[in-house]
Amino acid sequence: MKHSSEVRVVIVALAVFIVAVAGTLTFGSGYLVDVATTLAMWIALSQSWILLSGMTGYVSLGHVVFFGLGSYIAVLTFGTLPLWATLGLSGISAIGLAVLVGLPCFRVRGPYFVILTFGLAEFVKYIVIDIEAKASKFGRLAIGGPDQNDVFLLMAGLALAAFFLSYFVGRSRFGAGLRGIREDEVAAETAGVPVVRLKLIAFALSALIPGIAGGVFLFRTGYFEPMQAFNPSVSLSMITMAVIGGTDDAFGPLIGAVALVILSELLWANAPELYTVILGLLLVTFVMWLPDGIEGQVRAWSRLKRQPA
Amino acid sequence: LIGGTEERSLFSFQLLVAALATGSIYALIAVGLNLIYGTMRLLNLAHGDLVMLGAYAAYWGFSGLHIDPLVAIPFIGLLAAGIGAAAYLFLFQRFLRDGARSDRIEANSLLAFFGLSIAIENLTSIAFTGNTRAYQYLDQVVHIGSASILGNRLAALIIALVTCVAVLLFFRFTTLGLAVRAIIQSRDAAEIVGVNARKAYLLSFCIGFGLAGVTGALVSLYSQIWPFMGFSYTVAGFVIIILGGLGNIYGSLIGGLLLGALETFGVAIAGANYRSILIYGVFIAILVLRPQGLLGAKSTAR
Repeated sequence: MKHSSEVRVVIVALAVFIVAVAGTLTFGSGYLVDVATTLAMWIALSQSWILLSGMTGYVSLGHVVFFGLGSYIAVLTFGTLPLWATLGLSGISAIGLAVLVGLPCFRVRGPYFVILTFGLAEFVKYIVIDIEAKASKFGRLAIGGPDQNDVFLLMAGLALAAFFLSYFVGRSRFGAGLRGIREDEVAAETAGVPVVRLKLIAFALSALIPGIAGGVFLFRTGYFEPMQAFNPSVSLSMITMAVIGGTDDAFGPLIGAVALVILSELLWANAPELYTVILGLLLVTFVMWLPDGIEGQVRAWSRLKRQPA
Repeated sequence: LIGGTEERSLFSFQLLVAALATGSIYALIAVGLNLIYGTMRLLNLAHGDLVMLGAYAAYWGFSGLHIDPLVAIPFIGLLAAGIGAAAYLFLFQRFLRDGARSDRIEANSLLAFFGLSIAIENLTSIAFTGNTRAYQYLDQVVHIGSASILGNRLAALIIALVTCVAVLLFFRFTTLGLAVRAIIQSRDAAEIVGVNARKAYLLSFCIGFGLAGVTGALVSLYSQIWPFMGFSYTVAGFVIIILGGLGNIYGSLIGGLLLGALETFGVAIAGANYRSILIYGVFIAILVLRPQGLLGAKSTAR
């Protein structure tokens, strides 16, 4: 670690993580563990989204496809394979899909990638439904998985890993290359940034976390059902959390996930459609009027305070 | 969807009419999408939702106010064009004003359209429930030569084709149409010779949204409507504008008819379950083989 600020962030993040996890498990009721698992999942997912879309500007609208695929692979392999291998396969298959669809799209510039991601999740969902229908399976159970406290630990670990991943990518040469692609891809390429390779690596890394999260999520509910695992509102939620918080580095999604998990706990059970409408409108509002998110806004204010004119 | 004949021989006149019926609707959707993309580099992810709103307008006009849908269509188009003007003036104008950050316009506008799309769909679902709806209109079978088609489907086909031709003529022969095409070709060069880019943007929003509204009213004549129906139209529209070339208006018309034909014949051969696999197959094939579109020159992408 080169900079003392990085050491500080790592120490603080680890301390917060340990206190939050230990606190939840020691004093938490079942409900608190449940909410904390949800929060950890959304932190992991929205971190994974900024890794590609926040840093490169290549917007993925169907990130749920990796989540659903991870869940599907997990339910197919769990039982024959141990838990770690199942979750590993979930992540690897997500990376495989990302490389498969990213390769043709990233070779050409323009909106091809977005158009592909817009419908990809639905496409894969219907293929899985078709496969399941042909096998006459209507939902599959995952029996004998980890209990809810272990699921929470796994999810929290994933959230921490996702945070560190986007934090250190954001501060690396690799991250600088990704931001170069976002600001001006032609200029970045001219300056020697291997844009196609960087985009592919970013996409693969950004698929890995939702893949594993999907696998862990399977053990939270205990069953797999395509309509739920590939639910497009998962993509919407992770995007909105990231945009509300701020998409440029790892702190934004953290803020956005906390804000929306609270909102969701208040609204989801009673008015799921209203919650979705609010997500959509929040997304429009932030993109239009606060494109740097809450984090960017706070930074702008503190900069003003520090340098009075 | 097609009148009740069981004639199943491939390349029959029946299937050709069906292909034309689907294709003309697709063409209208794709032209509207491509116009807004071509002039401003904005991908309207909510385009299908405007189609849905147009369908609901026709539905409520007919079953609530007893207005003949064919009479209502121009008014629905105007209403949708008005929504387009409002969307441009109040929301998207601010993106285009700021030239310095133009490289982020695409990503940001996408997210804004995505949010709008979700909000429109779910608000409609809250207001009118998520149930499918339909109304009975011109539902007698009409025979044309060896083909039979429902009257409402035929009406939709004719109006869609007439609208396509009108769009074609507008962009070929009117000054405004030429101005918009000049902006698509090169904004800077067009502005130098005196084309008002902002007017062209506003016009593109009006025509794009207006066409979406008309398409929705046409779709409602023959098919069931529901709040989340727009998604598949948006996806089809995207595939077509890739097929016909980004920013290529004529390409969209041809691409729409082509995808309509591919879909109709593909479904006739392989079965309805393969519809979306087919559409994605076309998309991937174009992406790999000819990313500039069937009609595009090598450099038109972006």
